[in-house]
Amino acid sequence: MNLIKRLGLTAAGALIAASAVSAAWAESAAERAVKEAQKYKGQTITIVWEAGLQSLDPLNFSGPLWEKLTGMKVKVVEVQTAEMFTKIMQEYRAGTGAYDALNVMPSWMPDLANAGALEPLDAYVDKYGYKDEFQKIAPIFRDNWAKANGKIYGFPDDGDVFIMYFRKDIFEDPKIKDAFKAKTGHDLSVPKTWKEFGETGSALTEILKPQNVYGAAFFRQPPYTMFMFQERFRNEGGKFFDAETMKATINSDIGVKVLTDMRNENKFMPPGVEQWGFVENLAAFMAGQTAMTISWPPYGRWAAGYGTDDKALNWVPKSTVGGKVGYALPPGGHPELAAGFDLSIASTSKNKDAAYLFIQWLNSEDISLQRVKLPTTLRDPFRDSHYTDAGYLALWPDAKDYLKTLKDASLAGIFDLSVLQTDKYEEVLRQAIGKLWAGEDPKVILDAAAGEWDGITKKIGVDKQKAVYADWASKSGAYPK
Amino acid sequence: MTSASHADNSGGAHHPSRRMPDHNFRYWIIAPSVFLLLLIGLFPLIYSLVVSFQQITMTDYDTSFAGLTNYAQLFDDARLWQSIAHTLIITIIALPIELVFGLAMAHLFLERMPGRQIFISLIVLPTVISPVVAGATWRLLFDQRYGPINQVIGWFAGHDVIMLWNITPHLVYPAILICEVWQWTPFMFLILLAALSNVDKSLTEAAELDGAGFWRIFFKIVLPAIWPVMAIAILIRGVDLFRIFDVIWALTSGGPGTMTETISIYTYVQGFQQFESSYTAAIAFLIVGLMSVVVIWAIRRMGLAK
Repeated sequence: MNLIKRLGLTAAGALIAASAVSAAWAESAAERAVKEAQKYKGQTITIVWEAGLQSLDPLNFSGPLWEKLTGMKVKVVEVQTAEMFTKIMQEYRAGTGAYDALNVMPSWMPDLANAGALEPLDAYVDKYGYKDEFQKIAPIFRDNWAKANGKIYGFPDDGDVFIMYFRKDIFEDPKIKDAFKAKTGHDLSVPKTWKEFGETGSALTEILKPQNVYGAAFFRQPPYTMFMFQERFRNEGGKFFDAETMKATINSDIGVKVLTDMRNENKFMPPGVEQWGFVENLAAFMAGQTAMTISWPPYGRWAAGYGTDDKALNWVPKSTVGGKVGYALPPGGHPELAAGFDLSIASTSKNKDAAYLFIQWLNSEDISLQRVKLPTTLRDPFRDSHYTDAGYLALWPDAKDYLKTLKDASLAGIFDLSVLQTDKYEEVLRQAIGKLWAGEDPKVILDAAAGEWDGITKKIGVDKQKAVYADWASKSGAYPK
Repeated sequence: MTSASHADNSGGAHHPSRRMPDHNFRYWIIAPSVFLLLLIGLFPLIYSLVVSFQQITMTDYDTSFAGLTNYAQLFDDARLWQSIAHTLIITIIALPIELVFGLAMAHLFLERMPGRQIFISLIVLPTVISPVVAGATWRLLFDQRYGPINQVIGWFAGHDVIMLWNITPHLVYPAILICEVWQWTPFMFLILLAALSNVDKSLTEAAELDGAGFWRIFFKIVLPAIWPVMAIAILIRGVDLFRIFDVIWALTSGGPGTMTETISIYTYVQGFQQFESSYTAAIAFLIVGLMSVVVIWAIRRMGLAK
């Protein structure tokens, strides 16, 4: 009897303990962060965020909500994208602890991590039980954007990726399909290679020009085209460096072909497309003047009219193509994860735990899902759960196609070159694009650019850069597999 | 009785023991101002000089002495010398145009005419606009899709024209010069109008009576009279043009490639985009050296130091 009683008591104790453990496991990363953060009630954390639409998230949504839940205040320092790296590094050098949490572009990670400006997050991930939810970030972002030197330095927090947008009504119009077949000898379909893109865009311009519609247009200003070059160059099989010697190989035949093709494509795009930036290209697509374009995910949401009635988006041209837009991977099938943002902690912060808890909460399954659905703040889906969320799928009639394409992109994407002093290499590419539009010979441009890249590598130190490049090139999203 | 009252009684103004405190006191009075000036003026200069002999970049805070490495690099940096050449091209073309246009307009507005004050106010307006705003505005005016300039040219041509003012090599410099001349000719105009207004009319009228023509009067009487003011205006605008940044940054960002990159833009790129702090300091001292030589030569040549 006593034995049975003892066993019964033991079982009951085990049950209670198991219940407690399961309750702890059931607690989400967001709930855990809030609970832990309540001990920092009354403190203020400062976070650096990209100025403009992006910062409406912490200013209007996540900041006030965090304060309501934890009693902690969030001070948002808005910084223009071009100045974010400088500000972060300057603050690190000054060491005043003015910034606690940071938005960091993944391509800056090697520089910031090697300089010591970022706090490694592995210990915090373990301490505050974030491992499981961190693992549920889409692998392309998790495996390529989070780490440097094998340590976690940031949580991928914005699924930036290039998507092709095309006019379904044009691609499904029987008359246009017939005219296209008569002109090219094959059926009209969304191009899957850059060769097909050139043929399709050119033919569509010839067919649709009387209606003032062009086959395609892109943003062509150098900062944007630099990303497109990186994407196309690698889709066509190009490598940035010789991994052994670290000599630049962007001036290969592939590089020359990509630049030559890019310039030729301008001929069937609207006049002056070389001057177009994000807004000009958006305006033309929203006005129905282009049949295809490539851009970041917000184009897809705005073209469907999602959120464009918001006051913050009153500069976005009203869409005339709502319900007519299809989504696809860009030609080549390996879209660029262009730019993007990680959430990181400044190594000089005096409130590291509190700041960490805030970014864990922001990045968690529950809160990030709400944030990527904010119509105005430019954060794009980056978790597996975001792509399948019932609420997101219902946001507009074609949202399921949109999210499916983003998920496909997350499986096949390639991320920006990320080595020491990446921006110097990118600046050379931006200048190369400028020279291309000015009419210089692609081979001459790329030979000069390769020479400049070699000079930069030599100055940094060939062996030093070789190790960082090898680390980058070993990642799943460096080159198409 | 104190020594002070004793000094007073003995006619202190001539007493040596009273002159000494006065002499020191005036230095104490100006000391805070001098210290402040040294702090905000001389210290950054000396600090920059020190930095130019180090190897500091944004990611590598190497303060060890690097000798003349950065200064030697200046001579191998083709992009630097190209940017100086671009700056000189803009200066050499824009300065005479602004001077001639400013002088012509000043001469035009010398005579009394209806609405003269209103016209002068309107002409001077561009100079009060921030150069970066002026550059951004002209960028929009030159835009192929939205800008009116190509549209107007198209009306005259009878067909649509495609002129990419901030991209096509033979159009980028005219675009910059148009913007620059538009904004700063009024400055020349205003200064030269003031100078011309002060020319002694009795002299020009006497010359006219003696049968001297317009150009003879201008070169023999008017120009010598306005030269000191004109020389100052040329010097100010010359230095301004050598430092030109905002307008070009807004119009072309130094592109296409580096085709319109001036020395100021190059320095900015090296310092604040590439974070080559020590090398940027060396460039800054090169510019200071070049500008000092040019300005001293100009001041002597123009007779401004007399």
